[in-house]
Amino acid sequence: MRPALEEIKTLEAFVNGSLPEEESQELEIRLLWDEYFKQKFQLQQLAYRAIQDAGRQQLRQELKAIHTRLFST
Amino acid sequence: MQTLTSPVMATDWRHSFITDREKTLTRVYAQTYPMVLHFVKQHNGTPEDAQDLLQEAIILFYEKVMHEQLVLTASATTYLLAICKNKWHQELEKRQRQARIFLTQTSPNWEEPTIASEQTNLDLGTFVAQLGKKCQEILVSFYYFGHNMPQIAAQHAYRNVHTATVQKFKCLERLRQSLANFTINDFR
Repeated sequence: MRPALEEIKTLEAFVNGSLPEEESQELEIRLLWDEYFKQKFQLQQLAYRAIQDAGRQQLRQELKAIHTRLFST
Repeated sequence: MQTLTSPVMATDWRHSFITDREKTLTRVYAQTYPMVLHFVKQHNGTPEDAQDLLQEAIILFYEKVMHEQLVLTASATTYLLAICKNKWHQELEKRQRQARIFLTQTSPNWEEPTIASEQTNLDLGTFVAQLGKKCQEILVSFYYFGHNMPQIAAQHAYRNVHTATVQKFKCLERLRQSLANFTINDFR
């Protein structure tokens, strides 16, 4: 994978807590001084929120369909 | 049939939601809706209220189960009913408050209090939809519905798991980018 995608993967592992301790500490330190990196990290967290919103909307649609199927006459 | 003497663990729910969401949701819905409807009707609500309440309660339950934040000490039905009862009491109080505000309000250009909060409550889901069907499906399947990459690779006919994984990160990159454009334009 190209470096930009590797970075996204690393940030994901960091968020999940599955990054090795040493790498995790390095990343935390970088977040303190590298404003651009921090921005990318925050955008990635926002991206996960956006996916959660999209998933929630889909789930709501599925539940509405189930309701119609089960209880609408 | 599950009974209260053999409680289903939250981890089992998680497994059921991942492997057969449709069937699991249908079962939960069919068991719980009549009870929620009965309760809401007895407390000044309509079938539509009952439907909204239960759907939001199931979403809450689903997310807690998927994030492994839930230890079930009762059946899921009992748990869902408790959420619905709580939310319904809150809703009734809110409606009473709004009715009082409305009665005491004298200003002619009074605005609905919900409008402002709706405007700030931004819908981020549309950014995912804008990525196109393929990206939306991969991202939502993986992150929200808990499917693993081998499953997703098979569903979307990717050559192998690696290709699907790369695609997932590309989609995430595009999402991050579109959110970046948005935040720069709107929050500067």
